[in-house]
Formats: sequence, structure tokens, C-alpha cells
Amino acid sequence: MCGIVGYIGNKQAQPILLGCLEKLEYRGYDSCGVAIAGKDIEVYKDAIRVKMLGEVSPKLNGTTGIGHTRWATHGVPSQINAHPHLDCSGNIAVVHNGVINNCQELKARLIREGHTFTSETDTEVIPHLIEKYYHGNLEEATAAALDDIDGSYAIIVLAKDRAELVVARKDSPLILGLGDRENYIASDVPAILDHTDRVVYLEDGDLAVITRNEIKIKQNGSDVRRDEQKVSWNVEEAQKAGYEHFMLKEIHEQPKVIRNTLAEYTRATEHPVDLLGARDTGTDSMLLLACGTSYHAAMIGKYIIRELLKIPPRIEIASEFNYYSDVLSRAVAIAITQSGETADTLKAMKKLKEAGCRVLAVTNVVGSTASRIANETIYTRAGPEMSVAATKSFTAQLMALYWLGITQSRIDARKLASLLTELRQLPGKVQQILDDEAIIAKQARNLSRFENVFFIGRGINYPVALEGALKLKEISYIHAEGYASGELKHGPFALLGESSPVIAIVSKDNTHDAMLTNIKEVKARRSPVIALAEEGDEAIEEVADAVISLPRVESLFSPVVNTVALQLLAYYTAKERGCPIDFPRNLAKSVTVE
Amino acid sequence: MMKQAVILAAGEGQRLRPFTVTKPKTMIAIAGKPILQYVIEALARNGIRNIIIIVGYRKEQVFNYLGAGEKFGVNIVYITQEKQLGTAHALIQAKGAVQDEFLVLPGDNLIEANTIARFITAKPQAVLVKKVENTARYGVVTTDGDMVRSIEERTGDTECDIINTGIYAFDERIFDFIEAELAIPDVINNMIAQGSAVSAQETEGTWLDVVYPWDILSLNNAILRQIPPSLGGTIEAGAYVKGTVSIGKDTIIHSNSYVFGPAVIGENCEIGPNVCILPATSIGDNVVISPLSSIENSVIGKDVNIGPGSIIEDSVIDESCLIQGRFTACSDETEVRINDELHQVKIGAMLGVGCNLKSNVVAQPGVIIGNYSQVQAMKLLSGRLPDKSTVF
Repeated sequence: MCGIVGYIGNKQAQPILLGCLEKLEYRGYDSCGVAIAGKDIEVYKDAIRVKMLGEVSPKLNGTTGIGHTRWATHGVPSQINAHPHLDCSGNIAVVHNGVINNCQELKARLIREGHTFTSETDTEVIPHLIEKYYHGNLEEATAAALDDIDGSYAIIVLAKDRAELVVARKDSPLILGLGDRENYIASDVPAILDHTDRVVYLEDGDLAVITRNEIKIKQNGSDVRRDEQKVSWNVEEAQKAGYEHFMLKEIHEQPKVIRNTLAEYTRATEHPVDLLGARDTGTDSMLLLACGTSYHAAMIGKYIIRELLKIPPRIEIASEFNYYSDVLSRAVAIAITQSGETADTLKAMKKLKEAGCRVLAVTNVVGSTASRIANETIYTRAGPEMSVAATKSFTAQLMALYWLGITQSRIDARKLASLLTELRQLPGKVQQILDDEAIIAKQARNLSRFENVFFIGRGINYPVALEGALKLKEISYIHAEGYASGELKHGPFALLGESSPVIAIVSKDNTHDAMLTNIKEVKARRSPVIALAEEGDEAIEEVADAVISLPRVESLFSPVVNTVALQLLAYYTAKERGCPIDFPRNLAKSVTVE
Repeated sequence: MMKQAVILAAGEGQRLRPFTVTKPKTMIAIAGKPILQYVIEALARNGIRNIIIIVGYRKEQVFNYLGAGEKFGVNIVYITQEKQLGTAHALIQAKGAVQDEFLVLPGDNLIEANTIARFITAKPQAVLVKKVENTARYGVVTTDGDMVRSIEERTGDTECDIINTGIYAFDERIFDFIEAELAIPDVINNMIAQGSAVSAQETEGTWLDVVYPWDILSLNNAILRQIPPSLGGTIEAGAYVKGTVSIGKDTIIHSNSYVFGPAVIGENCEIGPNVCILPATSIGDNVVISPLSSIENSVIGKDVNIGPGSIIEDSVIDESCLIQGRFTACSDETEVRINDELHQVKIGAMLGVGCNLKSNVVAQPGVIIGNYSQVQAMKLLSGRLPDKSTVF
């Protein structure tokens, strides 16, 4: 999604803004730009990478400025459509993340009033509206402009000859970073971590005036206080630290993430949500809600909750849920979102809350919008995830769901103790897979030659098949489909053959024999089969063309080890094909528009 | 004064198997910290914060642990040595990344700040030397006043003498002398032969080497004595802690347990009730020691789970082992074979990572169990088992 940054202080703004923008790259973008207030406002922008922009742009002199990475929604990626956008006079510059719904109407009106537009973007109406209302007070003009706008936004406004920046947010993330006689503004924390760890999270509807020495925040015209928070992430975590790609680094961080998450949850003595209370209020009483990879975590969560709590939860893709005309009463909804800013999930959460549901958020970002909408939040402790393809955040989400299930279930104490011991062993098992990644890399070389791949699994590993396919397609651009193994016969069989390999995810549980049969059926259609199976599973070794052997774990936890193996498979396949792994084409890290 | 350092951390440490199958020798933990961390802390305390680490074998373990160095107050740049062709070949990887004068240190020798405190002002080219009791596996340095005459490996000859610590002060001229030679001492001998002056400086500070699995125990013992006591967790009523003991955050020592220092217990551990931790024991993070167990002079890796009633002495149990009740690792004088050498040592058991032992397993003195081995209940273990062994 688009990312915005701003700086006001006593240092040269241009290099600082470019550095911050590079830190926002992980959100995905197609163009970028900066505006610096010197004698005049100077803008440099283009449909290129931030690094290139830094190399080709002239040195812009000034200590106040704004910057933007754009992910096209209105208008193609181009120099003209890149932000910042200016008003007619060139004295007001704006960067914007969000979508303006009534932009056609506003644009028509402004053109009638004599304004000239240069781009196809919705954003450009903002500087023109501010210009219209500007009579010497930038804050009031911005507030008046925003009153006209129907839509979502996080904006930073820069005006000539004003020692201030005006910022505002509604349904798009925005944070302030506090420095010593300087202040930072950004879409999220990693952008400014190099400069400060003191952060203020703005709320929806906040409008703030930022000078180098102070920040003043207003909500509906009256002053409000927002507490400063210390960020516990450090810059080290925001760097690749020796690894070739963020994705590989993040895959390798998973043993630590599991360990940290367990330690954190063990420490918390009170359980954040009484899911069993939900059970007592009725049968159809729990809803899991998410998008993308988080949706796959939610699907596994459905099995976990059903297995441990004996509640049959419902599960919905957030963007689809929003089309139901009504919300049936439910005691608790669990919304899962890594960034805590996924627009569709947030919309669904608001709708549920308005309908009187209790909403629990599972998110990786402290202070994110999701955590503020939710009644309660379980934080995953994955740390910042830079790669667009989610890996460690997915594993951390699973840990949160396991913890929810285990701590609240009514299973007997001995079973509980044995599950906890198993969970403690999980980091070591994952490490074992990572230590043997060369075996998976070898299979990836083989897989990289194909253009169509099927992933199949059953039971709790059916969502893993979906996640494995998603990882492969998003970073290696190979067409990949995940199926519940039983569904393969209902159509996809027609596509099997020598050129369509099948990745079979086998667990040693009640699905094992059916999976074995499926593999034989697939083999009969001459598709090459790579199986993920527990080490020593001779029955599978006999039928599959290749086996990736994985350490034995309790079936309930098998999605963790299987997913890690599939992440590595996708990574090495993409690497073999020379793909830009951390920044796949057309994709954004957090999807903050519907 | 030196401002930058190159740490050579690419090697495997083949004689330390099974512990070096999943990690490089530099990442072996002594008193709760990898050896490499001691080297980095020694540099940081001497104001050397620009560090280049030459990595190779199992480099991800180094990346994961050290990151960009932020946690240790240093800046780390990694350079990969694709094939481990000796120390001089490792050093030449740093050519272009270092300027002027720099220190070179092995990442697998445990040192402390005072070891190099004086040496950081040495004028290149210089070698840090140390007097040791037994020179058997080191390069003996022959000097003429303060100048080095030669560095030679002497086999069989084990009298007290000064040896090469592998810590050097070089400038960029060193790169001109690295040709086909595989080891830095050869390069130095070459320089001297061609008329360059190389000085020697002796250190009295800590310099410890780990070569065989049981060396982990003696290093652990030596370092534990210097660790300051600290308490980050909870000691329940009725538990008793004596001597210098460091207990990590969120660890619980349950009632009726005795902890006799020196000992280090990591974060988030659960010890007891009724457990004895006896002197010279290090326990990693997230470890569970179940009731009625006794552990003495041992190193327990992180995520290890030890069942009730276990007796463990003079042993090393690596990460993520799951050990059921009544495991016994007895210690006694025994002969252990490493490659073709026979060693007479007094040790208990050496367990690789991820071993799964069912209840009532007894390990004879000197047993070395490969990584990820599975052992059924009531088995007697002896000798050496390869990785992923199954004992039925």
C-alpha cells in the first residue's frame, strides 16, 4: 500500500525522507517522490525505486519535507501520478494514503472554480481544496478540506513559508516519531526506527500540527492528548543481518518467534478472552475473520478450536463478510491481521462491534487500528515483517491460536501438560527443518521448471496446502492451487499430467491412509509427486517421487512444521527463477484499501 | 589504536561433533553465551565497534544470533567464505572491506576484554602470544627479543612455552603476502623470510580453546567462576540458592530445590520442585528440570526437557532434547575416541541436539550420542552413536 513520511527539524530533510521511504518499501509500491520546502516547494517524483530516485534527483535544500511511496489505485504508475501533489500555485504539497470516494464530484467542482489538475489521481483534489480554503491558517484550511472529503486518508500537508506540517488520518495508519528538536511522521514505525523509538499513534479523526519543537493534536476541533510510546523493536530487526532476503531471514527467525511468543503468553497469567463463556451462550457463537495468509491461519484455528474447545466456529473472508446485509448475533469474533491495518478486516470488525459482538484481534502491531477497534487484543510477537510474503507472522498467529485453544480448553490436565511439552519442543523441530534446508532447495530446483503446481492436504493440513500454494504463486509467479485432497477428483484431475507436479502434505494421523490413496491416484495420472511426510514414513517414500522428511510432531502442531517447509520450498523456487523475492510484482505488504 | 576487527568464524570444528553438525564452533555456548559473543564483547569493551565477521559453515546461526550487532553495541558486516580453505584464505575475503590497521581474531577462542587491552595499540604486524602448559595442538612462537622468528606446529613436544593465540594486528600490507598459503602462520613466516618485521606481544588474559566435546565443561567451569550473581526470576519459598548464581527473567525455582553456584540458569525455565543444581552447571533458556533430579558440572542447552528423577554429571546436553524420567548420565574415567586419537577423560554423556530419550535410560561414561537420536525406555547407552540413531 502507499506509504507516507514527513520530517521537520534542523537537518537536511531530503536524505532523511529517502531513508524513511526505503524502510517503507516492504509495503509494496510502484512510484515514489519527495517535496522539500526551501525557498519554494520543490518536488521530485517518478515511477522508480526509492534508491533510483535518490540517485537521479538533484539535491533539494530544506529542513522540512514530505515523501511518498505509491501503489496505484486511481491512475497508472507514472511520474505525473506519483505523489507529492501540488495545488495550482505550487505553494501547497500533499502526500496521501487512502481512497477518496467522492473525488469525481470534488474534482468537477474545483475545475468549475478554476483549478487546474495535472494527474489522474484522487489525491490531487486535496491540495486544491486546501488552496481554496487557505487564508493564512493551514490547519483550518486542511480541516475544511477534509470536511468535504468522503473516504479514507492519512495525509501530510506541506506549505511554503510555514514552519509546520499538518497531518490527519481517517481509516489509514499514521504515526508520529518524536525527536530532539525534530519530529517525524510516517505510515508505520519501521520507517522512522533509525531516528527515534519514541512514537505517538494517531487515532481516527485526529488532525495534528507538527513543528520541530512540538505536536498539537485535535479531534473534532478540541485539543486531545495522545500518549507517547516506546518502541521495543530495534533497527537491527529491521535489517537483513547477513541474509540475502528478508524472507529467508524471517523464515529463519521462526524458532525464536515461537520461543518468544510462548514465553510471552506463559508470562501473562490472565487469559485475554474467555472463549468458553462464548460456548455457554450458544452453539453458533464464534466467528473467525481474516484475509490472505491470515485467513489460512484462521482456517487452522477453526480446527484447533473445534478440537480443543469443542465449539464449531464459523470462518469468513473479511472482504466477503462485508456483503452480508446483517450480522447474526455472536458472542465473540476473532479477527486476525498481521498489520492490524487490513482495510477489509477493519471494516468487518467495526460492523461486528456495532452489532454488539465482542471482538478479539490477533495482530502483530501494537497500537494498530485493529487493536484499537477490538475489545481485546492478543499480540503475536513476530517483530516487524519486511518481506511482502508473510512467514513468521503466520507462525506467530498459529501460536496465538494454539495458546487460545490450550489455555481455555476443558481437556484434562495430563493431556494439557503433554501438549505444552510438545509446544516447547516446536522451536527445535523447526530448527531441524531449517538446518536441513539444502534438501528442500534441491526439490525447489526441480520444481522451478514447472508452470503449474497443485498442493493437496487433508484435515488440519488442508489450509496448509492453500498457504503453500499462496506462498509459491506470490513469490515465484508459478501458477499454484491448493486443494483439499478429496476435492481433487471433482475437476482438477483433468489438469494432472507430467507437467503438473503435486505437492502432497502428509501427516501421521487419521488422514494418512486417504492421503496415501490420493498420491497413488495422482501418480496414475503421471503427475510427479513431492510429499512432505514424517521421517521414516516408508509407505509414502515408496509411492512419492521425492519426499521431504520432517520431524515428528503431534498432529495438532503439524501445520507449523509443514508450513515452514513449504515457505522454504517457495523461497528457493523463486530464487531459482530469479524473482525479486521480497518485493513481488503487483503486491503490497498490508492491504489498506478495500 | 585499532578501530576495526576481522573475526574469523567460518570454520566447522569437526572434532566437536555432534555439537558442530548444526552450528559452527564459534556458536558453542559457554556459561550461557556463544564463544563468538565473548570475542565481540571483548572488542566492544576496548572501543572496537566496526567488526567484519567472515562466516561460512552454518552461517545462519551467526546471523540469527548477532544480527547487525545492535544488541552488543557494535556494527557487524558479514562476508561469506564459500569454501573453508584455511585462515589466510578466510582473511583475504576481508580485503577491500578493511582500511589501514586492523585486528584479526579467531571467533572460536574464548577471550575477555583484558586479553587484548594492551594489544589494540600494537603496531602492525604483530602477533599476540601466550604462555601455556601444554603446547601440543598450537603453533609455538620462537622470538628474538620482541620480534618473531617463526611460528611452528610442534607435535609430541609438550613443554611449557609461548604459543600463537591466533590474534594479530595487521595492516593492508598483509594481503600482499597471502598467496597459496592456507594458514596465517605460514603467511607470517613468509613475511619474516622476506625481511619484514613482525613483533610478538604476550598476554596474561583469558584465552581458552575448545577442541573436544569435553572442553565445553572445563571452559564452562572456568568462566562460571567470574559471572556476577543476578536474579531475574522467582525463587519460591523453601528453595535455597547459595554461591554465585545467575537466574534469568521469568524462571521459577520451585520449593525445596537447591542451587549451588557457580551456576547460570537462563530465562523462562522451570526448575523443581526438589531439584539439585550443583556447581559448575549452565542451563539455557526455556528448560524444564522435573522434580527429584540432580545436575552437576554440566551444560544444558535451551529448550531441553529433563524428566523426574534424573541424575546428570559432567555432561553436555544440547538444545531441544526431550528426556523422560530417571535418565542417568554417570561420570567416570574413560577412554573416548575422536577420529584416530584416544583420550583418557572423566566425563558423563554428550548428547547432540533434538535427542528423544524415553524413561530409565542409562548412559555410560563417555557416551557420545548423535543429533536427533531416538532411544527407547530402559536402554543402556555406550560408545558413540551417529546422528539420527534409533535405539530399540
